[in-house]
Amino acid sequence: MSQMITIELNGQQQPLPTGSAVSDMLSIIGSDGKSVAVLVNQQIIRPENRPARILQEGDQVELLIFAGGG
Amino acid sequence: MDLLQLGSYTFSSRLILGTGKFSSAAVMLQAVRASGAQLVTVALRRFNREQAEDDLFGPLSAIEGVTLMPNTSGASTAAEAVRAAHIARELSGSPFIKVEIHPNPQHLMPDPIETFEAARILAKEGFLVMPYITADPVLAKRLEEVGCAAVMPLGSAIGSGQGLASAAMIELIIRESSIPVIVDAGLRSPSEAAHAMEMGCEAVLVNSAVAVAGNPPEMAEAFAEAVAAGRKAFRAGLMQKSGSAIATSPLTSFLGANG
Repeated sequence: MSQMITIELNGQQQPLPTGSAVSDMLSIIGSDGKSVAVLVNQQIIRPENRPARILQEGDQVELLIFAGGG
Repeated sequence: MDLLQLGSYTFSSRLILGTGKFSSAAVMLQAVRASGAQLVTVALRRFNREQAEDDLFGPLSAIEGVTLMPNTSGASTAAEAVRAAHIARELSGSPFIKVEIHPNPQHLMPDPIETFEAARILAKEGFLVMPYITADPVLAKRLEEVGCAAVMPLGSAIGSGQGLASAAMIELIIRESSIPVIVDAGLRSPSEAAHAMEMGCEAVLVNSAVAVAGNPPEMAEAFAEAVAAGRKAFRAGLMQKSGSAIATSPLTSFLGANG
């Protein structure tokens, strides 16, 4: 069985298989990633860089979308 | 053709619509279509997998001719607003950013100092900066000098429906400004939007008045017509006001005149 890490996703604990990339995490939580901005430790991770960006234990990940606003 | 010019972008609609406070995404989308708005504001929010329908990027982008203008709502400092703008640009692919920094939830008045600083930084980075400000002609001029694409003075407090309480100050801003002046916030009725346009505003931004109307799509259409009428009246040139009556019909007596 592969080892797990825990990241902080939008302020909540999220377990992930060790070695997961940002793109893997998006699939795991059910997002197609197209309309989501991803920040890892406050750095924006652009879509083309998500498959190569491997998440580490304790990484703080923020996922942001566009919602209604004036 | 009479177009609204913001940076290198041009728009035939002068109604900018906000997307907050609608009862559902479906009603909001109907209102956007009915309004004919080509610039539509959105806000950044954390993704919530239980509320995936809140994600408006896809449905709004699917409406032809709509450009997104993200806001920095939630920021209470210039640094936070700049960070929000960078994230928003990643998502929207649009250079427009509505700089909105209001630290006090009681009155939602914009912080002029933080707003100026954020606008200065973002304009230098190439954003089309649309700052939401109090109706202050001095601040408006300073924002123009640092390269904002427009200034957006409030008519009255956000969501208050108190209309053009700051009309006199907005007129001063228009008189001094070389960039578009867009009234943002506080409008309740289409007649107020028409009034703003007759004064010489280049556009108006409306959200609550449409979102919480009995029939939002119909109200969106009413605002679009009022904005167009107000603009046409401004271009046509309003008559001068006079302190006394000036007759429109001949006053020479003819009844009982001897032929």
